[in-house]
Parts: sequence; structure tokens; C-alpha cells
Amino acid sequence: MAGMLPPAERRTSALVALYVALSLLLLLIGERLPQAILRGAGATLFAPLDRIVLAGDRLAASWRENQRLHQRVTELELENARMRDAVTENSQLRERLGLAVARDLTLRPVELLALSGEPVPASATLSAGWMQGARAGDVVVTSDGLVGRVTEVYPASSRAAMLTDPNAPVACVVESTGVLGIVRFVNAPRPRLLFTAVPFTDTVRVGQKVLTSSLSRRYPRGIPVGVVTGIGRDPSGLMQLIEITPAARMSRLRHVFLLPGPGPVPSGLAVPAPGAAPPVPAVRR
Amino acid sequence: MRALSAFVVALAAVLLLRSTALSAFAARGIVLDALAFATVVWSLRHGPAWGSSFGFALGIAADLDAGHWLGRHALVLTLLGYAVGRLASTLVRESTRTQIALLITATAIHQTWSALFELTSWSAWPYLALRIVLSTLASAALGALLLAIAKRLAGGPLFGNVSVQPGQTR
Repeated sequence: MAGMLPPAERRTSALVALYVALSLLLLLIGERLPQAILRGAGATLFAPLDRIVLAGDRLAASWRENQRLHQRVTELELENARMRDAVTENSQLRERLGLAVARDLTLRPVELLALSGEPVPASATLSAGWMQGARAGDVVVTSDGLVGRVTEVYPASSRAAMLTDPNAPVACVVESTGVLGIVRFVNAPRPRLLFTAVPFTDTVRVGQKVLTSSLSRRYPRGIPVGVVTGIGRDPSGLMQLIEITPAARMSRLRHVFLLPGPGPVPSGLAVPAPGAAPPVPAVRR
Repeated sequence: MRALSAFVVALAAVLLLRSTALSAFAARGIVLDALAFATVVWSLRHGPAWGSSFGFALGIAADLDAGHWLGRHALVLTLLGYAVGRLASTLVRESTRTQIALLITATAIHQTWSALFELTSWSAWPYLALRIVLSTLASAALGALLLAIAKRLAGGPLFGNVSVQPGQTR
């Protein structure tokens, strides 16, 4: 059959066969290849181009955003004055109860260069790498809430798994009631963010806020994750199926902030100082 | 050398567009299939050998970018590039109807293939079917419009007339 084809067509057929064989081979053994190195090279190569493409869009938005930010800064300064007083009172009370005092969070602003993954973007390329002080495990947030976590760090850029990555669940808590659960993104039957592992004995209502919990080994506690928008029954019938809307606007990300991730000891398991009163166990209501 | 430069530039442009402007649409549930569009256009213009090479290179880059299932896009885009490139010599490539038909077919095949990897339970198929239909219609309509604008701006045929075979110039 191959002998019947003209030479040019034979070459084309051989080329296609080679590509198909390579694709099939990659489908089978691609997971074992060092993909992070290749992605790192790609991210480094594309970062300047991403910046150029995004420059126009960002210039147009910057004037409007600047006005809004001025207003927001004024509001936050007023609120900050009230909060400072509350923080002093809170740390005094926590000290007396022997609870671990929350550490200050240092925000490092970075630019979001590109989003990847489909149908919903699940990872983001950030403009800071190890040369700018970014580390694997750093938490990515916006002023609205949690975006994700840095998973791969290259010299001048990094890659973050977003909240919309089905393989990046987050231990969370309902703000007002202390109900614990796991927030995870699912693609099927339709893409949505779910607050899972919540038994029917726990009461959760629409409109309640969900935050990262102190049980998380990967995220500092108290970062807004989303708001409860729907409650149903898990297919197993044993747990609630709670749908939440992300606090951060995932489709409008331009600038984000990096927070250092928690250390090896989760904050909820901090050892009290010698002689201090034992910590009060958390009561689930 | 010039052809290779155009090949690299086109690859970079599609990947950039996909990870910047189009990702904002994807986050809102509208997947505009730039990969299928670019492969169809490239194959129509340059024939099966370049079409399959373009599809393979674009697919590998997209697979790496997505971070999982290396070879997933590469396989289907290679075959699409080859098939469209082969058909290109027998079709009226400048016809908007032909372009729409090719874009619909290529996007539907590419999206269906991608969706198969996400089908973890049968309850997901209505959503995935809707996504495939929406993506196919949106990509084909926008793709045909883009080609019409490009043709108007170029002031002549984009793919050459019937006497010019794909991959050749007059």
C-alpha cells in the first residue's frame, strides 16, 4: 500500500504515524517525565510576552481601579483604627487563655501572567519566582479571599494551583458556626466548588461565609474562601452537599498577593507556653 | 526558514491568546477552541504535513500548559491537522460555508475528545454535551468571522484559489 503512494504522501504518512505514536506513548508514560522543568522553561519564555499582551488590558482598567482603590483605602483606614483596638484586646485575652497568638501576615504583591487548564482555569502563572522570594507552599490571595497555593517555583516566575483545581482541596470552617469541612472543586456533573464532609447533624445555611480552618496544614486560618449558595444531599445520602461561590473573583484576576504558608506545625496544634492554662477545646455548634 | 519562523510565531500567538484573553471567557463557561481553529487554518493553508506537525506541536504545548494528560491534545490535533490538510486539496477553501463546516467538525471532535477525559460519572454528560455544543457553535461562528475579516483586510484570498495546492505558492 505504501509503495502505491507518491513519495511526498509517503513522507507525510510516516510523519503522522510518528506523531500519533509519540502522542500515544506520552499518554501512557507522560506522567513519569519531568514536566515541571519543561513547564518552567515555557513559563520563563512566555512571561515577557504575557506581560506585553496584558499591558493594554491593564492600562485601560488602571484608571477606574485607581479611583475605586482610593475610596477603599479611606474606608479601610477608618476600619483599621477600630480594628487595632480590637486586636490589642484579642491578643491580651488569647494570652490569658494560653492560646497561640496569630502571627502577622506579610503580603507580597505579584502579577498574574497567565491562566491554564480547561474548561475552568485550574492553575496560574505568577510573575514572582525564587529570585523574588516566592516559595513552594506560599498562599495566593486577593483582597476578596483565597485564590490558591504556589506549587512550582522557577527563577523569575511560579505556578500556583488555584481553588478551581480538583486536586487542591482546602480544610475550611463556617465562620459563624465553626462547622468543619473540606472545600474542593469538582468538574462533574458541572464545574462547581463544594464544601464536603459535612454531616447532617451540622447546620449550615445559605449566605454563611466559609474560611480556611486552623486544621489546615497548607493555609493560614481565617482566609475567606467563599459563601454558601446552595445546600443539598450527597449522592451517598450520608453527608450534605453544600455549594459555595468563591470569595475571590476567579475570572477577574490581575494582581494577587503571596502569603508565606504555615510552618511544619499547624497553628491549631501550637504548644502552649509552660505554666499557661490549658487551651479551651473548640466547641462545635 | 521563513516558514519555520511563521510556524513558531503562530504557535506562540495561539498559546498566548489561550492563556490570556480566552481564559477569561473559559472562566465564564464559554470555551473558545483556539487550538482547533488554529490547526484547521494552518492545515488549510499549508497541507497535511505542516498541518499535522502544527497540530502536534500545539497539542504538546497545550498539554504541558494544562499540567496533566501529556499527549491528550497532541493526538487529536495531529489527526485533525492531517485530515483537514488532506481535504484542503479537494475543497473550495475560500468558501465561508466550507470553513464553518470544517470548524464545526474539528471543534466538535476536539471538544468531545477532551470531554471524555473529564467524564468521571454518567451524570456529567448533559453538562459536557451542552459545553461541547456551545463551544462548537461559538468557536465556528467566531472563527468564520475572523477569517472573513482577515480576507477583507488582506484584500485577496487567504488560502489561494483552486489551482494552488495547499503548501504551495503561485
